[in-house]
Amino acid sequence: MNGFFWTCGHLGWGIFALAVFTGLWWLLTDLYWRLKSIGFRRLLVMMAAGWIIGVGLILLGFYGLNG
Amino acid sequence: MLILQIVILCLLVAALVLWGLYYPYPSPLIRRWLPPRKRWPEKQIRTWLKDGAFQRAFLRHFYRDPERVAPPGNSILAPADGLVTSADMRGEIRYLVIALSFWDMHVQRSPVSGRVLKVESHGDDFMDGEGREFAFLREKTCPVQKRLVVATNAGQVAVRLITSLAARRIETWVREGEEIERGQRIGRILLGSTVVLELPAATKLLVRTGDRVWAGQTAVAEGLTAP
Repeated sequence: MNGFFWTCGHLGWGIFALAVFTGLWWLLTDLYWRLKSIGFRRLLVMMAAGWIIGVGLILLGFYGLNG
Repeated sequence: MLILQIVILCLLVAALVLWGLYYPYPSPLIRRWLPPRKRWPEKQIRTWLKDGAFQRAFLRHFYRDPERVAPPGNSILAPADGLVTSADMRGEIRYLVIALSFWDMHVQRSPVSGRVLKVESHGDDFMDGEGREFAFLREKTCPVQKRLVVATNAGQVAVRLITSLAARRIETWVREGEEIERGQRIGRILLGSTVVLELPAATKLLVRTGDRVWAGQTAVAEGLTAP
């Protein structure tokens, strides 16, 4: 069985990809914020938009492949 | 597979913990990709000044001493890296004030070839704004400084190495009577401060207030020729 949270004795690829993406996205946003002079509100919007797109792609990939 | 996943997640958590520990300053993981001013923000450097403990990477950056190639000719070179904040005449002397920041290279170089006439110590205080209002020329509450006078065939040129609240130590590497070359290392101010070049009035400046100059590399004036 290929579940989102758990698969054959290890974490499901869906939740694993989500966790890794969220952590990396956070760190990448921090790096971008330090490299560019950007307003905090704009940064938050960009961060949220990027995260939603990333999560959408992960879900699409997971359920698309397993659908 | 589970072990590999756990290892990857642990690495990610470690990176996030590092981020949290160093916040609001950059974590060591991303520091290398940032320009010096963002790698070590001024606020962070000021906290180190209070505590007396500095990051080793910052000190390595601060103590750098790159080679410099002087441009050909007899032009007068900038004695320090920094920003020209003033270029005014007082009496018969033209003062070129160069402000150094925490991120500038701090080794000073001789603007001209000649003989070191004097290495004088002046001042009684550590203050901010040492270059403003010509504080370095005052009799009282004058910033602690060293003044190196260099005699050339065409007159005298002096370099003042001035301390600030943060910069409290000056090293001079030349002695009275020593012959020095144009662009030769003459000393170092430890942490950001001010260097003032004193030129004869007849010289013509090649830089303006707001220009960035590099020690031993940028020609800042010309016209120092033997009569």
